Amino acid sequence: MTNHWIDLKNSDAILAIGCNPAENHPISFKWIEQALDNGGKLIAVDPRFTRTASKADIYAQIRPGTDIAFLGGMINYALQNRLIHEEYVREYTNASFIVNEQYDFEDGMFCSFDDQEKTYDLKSWAYANGPGDQPRRDPSMKDPRSVFQLLKKHFSRYDVDTVCAITGTRKEDYLAVAKAFCATGRPDKAGTILYAMGITQSTHGTQNVRAVALLQMLLGNIGIAGGGVNALRGESNVQGSSDYGLLFHLLPGYLKSPEFDNVDLKGYNEKWTPKTRDPKSANWWGNTPKYITSMLKAWYGDHATKENDFCYSYLPKRSGNYSYSKIIERMGKGELEGLVCMGMNPAVGGPDSLKAREALGKLQWLVTVDLWETETSIFWKRPGVNARDIQTEVFMLPAASSVEKEGSISNSGRWTQWRYAAIHPVGDARSDLHIIDEFCKRVKALYAKDGGAFPEPITRLSWNYGDGHEPDVNLVAREINGYFTKEMTITDKDKVLEFKKGDQVPMFKYLQDDGSTAGGCWIYCGSYTNDGNQMARRDASDPTGLGLFPKWSWCWPVNRRIIYNRASVNPAGEPFNPKRPVIAWDGLEKKWKGDVPDGPWPPMNDAKEGKYPFIMLPEGHGRLYALDMKDGPFPEHYEPVESPTRNLLSRTQNNPVVKLPANVSSDLAKYPCIGTTYRVTEHWQAGAMTRSLPWLVELVPDMFVEISETLARQKGIANGDQVKVSTERGSIQAKALVTSRLKPFNVGGKMIEQVGMPWHFGYAGLATGDSGNVLTPTVGCANTSIPEFKAFLCSIDKGGKRA
Amino acid sequence: MGISRRQFLQGGALAAGAVLAGKPGEASVDTPDLRTRGLKSTTTICPFCSVGCGIIVHTRDGKVVNTEGDPQHPINQGSLCPKGSALFQIANNERRLQKVMYRAPGSDRFEEKSWDWALDRIAQRMKETRDRSFKAKETNKKDKKEYVVNRTDGMAFFGGAGLDNEECYLWSKFARAMGIGQLEHQARL
Amino acid sequence: MSSSTIDYTTTRAFLIDTTKCTGCRGCQVACKQWNQLEAEKTSFFSGEGYQNPPAMSEHTFTRVKFKDYEKNGQHEFAFYKEMCMHCNDPACASVCPVGAFRKTAEGPVVYDGTRCIGCRFCMMACPFGVPKYEWSKAFPLVKKCTGCYSRVKNGLHPACATACPTAITYGTRAEMLEEAEKRLRNRPKRYFKTIYGKEEAGGTSVLYLTQQPLDELGFKPVTKRPLPSYTWQALRFVPGVFLTVGGTLSAVSWFQHRKERIRREEKEQKVEKEMK
Repeated sequence: MTNHWIDLKNSDAILAIGCNPAENHPISFKWIEQALDNGGKLIAVDPRFTRTASKADIYAQIRPGTDIAFLGGMINYALQNRLIHEEYVREYTNASFIVNEQYDFEDGMFCSFDDQEKTYDLKSWAYANGPGDQPRRDPSMKDPRSVFQLLKKHFSRYDVDTVCAITGTRKEDYLAVAKAFCATGRPDKAGTILYAMGITQSTHGTQNVRAVALLQMLLGNIGIAGGGVNALRGESNVQGSSDYGLLFHLLPGYLKSPEFDNVDLKGYNEKWTPKTRDPKSANWWGNTPKYITSMLKAWYGDHATKENDFCYSYLPKRSGNYSYSKIIERMGKGELEGLVCMGMNPAVGGPDSLKAREALGKLQWLVTVDLWETETSIFWKRPGVNARDIQTEVFMLPAASSVEKEGSISNSGRWTQWRYAAIHPVGDARSDLHIIDEFCKRVKALYAKDGGAFPEPITRLSWNYGDGHEPDVNLVAREINGYFTKEMTITDKDKVLEFKKGDQVPMFKYLQDDGSTAGGCWIYCGSYTNDGNQMARRDASDPTGLGLFPKWSWCWPVNRRIIYNRASVNPAGEPFNPKRPVIAWDGLEKKWKGDVPDGPWPPMNDAKEGKYPFIMLPEGHGRLYALDMKDGPFPEHYEPVESPTRNLLSRTQNNPVVKLPANVSSDLAKYPCIGTTYRVTEHWQAGAMTRSLPWLVELVPDMFVEISETLARQKGIANGDQVKVSTERGSIQAKALVTSRLKPFNVGGKMIEQVGMPWHFGYAGLATGDSGNVLTPTVGCANTSIPEFKAFLCSIDKGGKRA
Repeated sequence: MGISRRQFLQGGALAAGAVLAGKPGEASVDTPDLRTRGLKSTTTICPFCSVGCGIIVHTRDGKVVNTEGDPQHPINQGSLCPKGSALFQIANNERRLQKVMYRAPGSDRFEEKSWDWALDRIAQRMKETRDRSFKAKETNKKDKKEYVVNRTDGMAFFGGAGLDNEECYLWSKFARAMGIGQLEHQARL
Repeated sequence: MSSSTIDYTTTRAFLIDTTKCTGCRGCQVACKQWNQLEAEKTSFFSGEGYQNPPAMSEHTFTRVKFKDYEKNGQHEFAFYKEMCMHCNDPACASVCPVGAFRKTAEGPVVYDGTRCIGCRFCMMACPFGVPKYEWSKAFPLVKKCTGCYSRVKNGLHPACATACPTAITYGTRAEMLEEAEKRLRNRPKRYFKTIYGKEEAGGTSVLYLTQQPLDELGFKPVTKRPLPSYTWQALRFVPGVFLTVGGTLSAVSWFQHRKERIRREEKEQKVEKEMK
């Protein structure tokens, strides 16, 4: 989230698209209801009439996978009706930037597509540079090659009738949504867009998110209170696990994991440190060398020296895509020997589960660390297989629960909150920290004793977390924050700061690229300072009344509660909305008041030191037109891989960058319904954490699928009947919930039914049932590889046995 | 039990008769005594979704006896959804794993093992796989040049969205030190 | 049992605004947690939407009812929490021959199992069908929502009211009535113009605001006269033996429970001694 949960109360219009906060983030409604009490509007856009929809002022039905059409139509509506926040768009986005002459778009295809490789040449989309090698700009935004004009042209095709034919939305509902939300383009109004997996789980998921961001930039809704682009994240610490780089392409703090051709630290820094010649651009990623060097110092301590590139060569280099689905694919081919699952359950949680379960059987060894038996840890005795045929060695380690250990987690609003151990772990269970610590120490000892393949990255790894039975979590937290490795004097404007060796680094602007600081994750610098553990703070004061609670826990970056907040003020530093100022420039005291500003510099208009607000981009301006997306600078509507219709907007059916797997089918004779998966309030994720809790099992005891009354009539299915749902991947049994809340979609005049289902069930635990993911395809987003769980084709029949 | 349920439910008279027979009924009195009074309380954050609600955990003799929303927490102000309200049953649950379990190749059952045994064997497996599958150099398909990659391709590490930050950090650090390229978790799904 | 000395403006009351309820059922589980009630074995759903369990019971003191229907081409997906209404003048208390039920000055209608003789008149008398019998036990008692008497006595809000993110406001009955009136006044289009519980059964400590007409949600129409004024009339027609048996049993039961109490206390003393 650019903003945070309590900030929802500051909204004039809340658009929930591709998320269902009433059911999946129920406590968010405490703040959504407060916004509604203050006259705000709630808009729910969803394939189903959900509990969120039941509280909404406006509900619009949308066919799964057509979000770009829906949002593109709103972008067009805002542009056509001049509802955009013009000053914001002109000053803070790249609307005025000129694009080079090569860029072109026709019939669903951007220029420079390589049909063999299924890739675009991203260089062909570059800005047109002017004098001093800087992008040319036209502040009037009238140049036909300006981003603004190209944007207008691109989205002019998204007229309301075309959009509604694609999305299946009723025109009057669509117009009501567009009108209500685009009304927040006024400087004194705030609109927020909430989204979750309905947006990301798509072959064009990243472009869905971009469509959200585009609309918010056009309406001037980023950086302000009650605004933002707000991903409602699904797990208690999926924010933290992403922050710490538990993804193949990342290192902690969203530093990129090195690629094969980043041959040394210099090469890495050259590749991943963006440059700008514009003095007004803060270009924060320009600090990349400081952050990677500090991380390497934290990992390799005294072994990491300037001479040996701070042990950069110890880091593995990637060559290609190792995303989840690719790993399962390789596993299925027998190319992996071992897998460790820390609280993850790939037998239920990923697409095409039957394949994933088979793949687990190709492993030589599997370690699961969990509170429960999961479908993954007992995959070898799952229904329908003979355990004797499966040669995988399985270690099932009992993990401590959240109340049995101490440490921090980061919520969706980036608040990092400290938890305490209430009791000892049950039985022989141990904390994950302890287990990881043991893995590392024992592997280290083996390499120290016996040697092996390139042992130095392990034997020299700095790993000092106390002498106790449990590693000291405070020592880990202190390392993450970062410390000085030697005595330092830093001059910061008029202040001279003295630091001793071992002092905690107070904030990331003091991290260094010469080895004088060590810090595990730069964005968490400031979380554990010489003043103590900031994440454990419990001061519930709210001086601004906006709900920032600056002294409750700590949030990255630098305890800034609303990021991009320099965009909440005009170039002179005055809040666009004086009633809800996030920050404001005090010209007399020469400083910002309110939230922690996005950088200390004076307002943008300050000739000497002023900076643009979008500090993470080298051009400092929000990208209406993107330069680094694999599938185009603008979002463009494509059909999901399995779709009941041809693309009504162009002749390009699917995202051209996405490679299609064999087991997908758009044969409507076989699979006439749209299938979609989701979560329910009463269960969570792959279900291990909830399907064994009797109070939750009481509420939702069975796997079920939801269907419309018309489909039920057509198939002779009554509420509670057993049904079979099939796709090209497999079939499942479930109970049918027949409801008027699901309606068929009008797709270009043809009525297409939908089958909705939770994905929480499996064969382990107290309440068992078939897994929704048996049905879903292994095909992912062009940019992130997140699978298309939300839109596939299926059939449904009464009774029947699963195949 | 001497009386069948059906007989028993036939009326107040019979019920009263049972009391007369001297069998003790379970005491059920709505008393003014707070069951959490004087107990040790600890704050925590809900382990389910990402709203980050505060929860108070009351314990007695090393057991969790009550969990409820933290009224001082600015986000939830004491509120909890059903999952958060059910936290008690995570701490008190007979289905929780309490022992290290091992399943040998081809076996049809788990057997109990000690931590030491399992951790040593896992460390051994990790090392063997790393040594076998470690790729120091690799020739790139496109430019046909050889590059140093120092990568372990024979194993993958999954998970993390349910771990604490400090655990995620050490997992990240350990994985990369092991040369793991295939490091992924729920955020990819 | 007359409760005439109680000031109904200061008794605590729940204002349940169903227009704000998202049906999350945090209240339902929070109740089970605080009262340590066991989960019921359920199958599929027990009504419209995701409703479960099928009824209130000795293991379920509160439950969110789901209404999932279409009206004039519009979806209605409504939720409301079912619980003991904690009547100002409770029928359960008035019919109980042994005084096992009592309306407290704090608001909750509380139950004393040591007095109960299991006659179940309370169950017959309650217009809301709230008291439930422990059918599964050999020696059953009556079970119902306690209004979290112990929490309220100690300055806390009831478990369900604490857990609810949106719909439940808890305070004195006068404040809750005032708040309800204010909501009706401020957003007249949002609400059906009735505060259920304001006068029903002579007034209750649970007050509901709804968007839909009450009958659409399945709220029972209940007389506005205090129920005890009816119950005695009704019970006149109950065969004499019941009343007589009930009356006799109340005395027997008191003695029996007295014996049991003494026995228990003696046992506890013995255990304490042993521990020393």
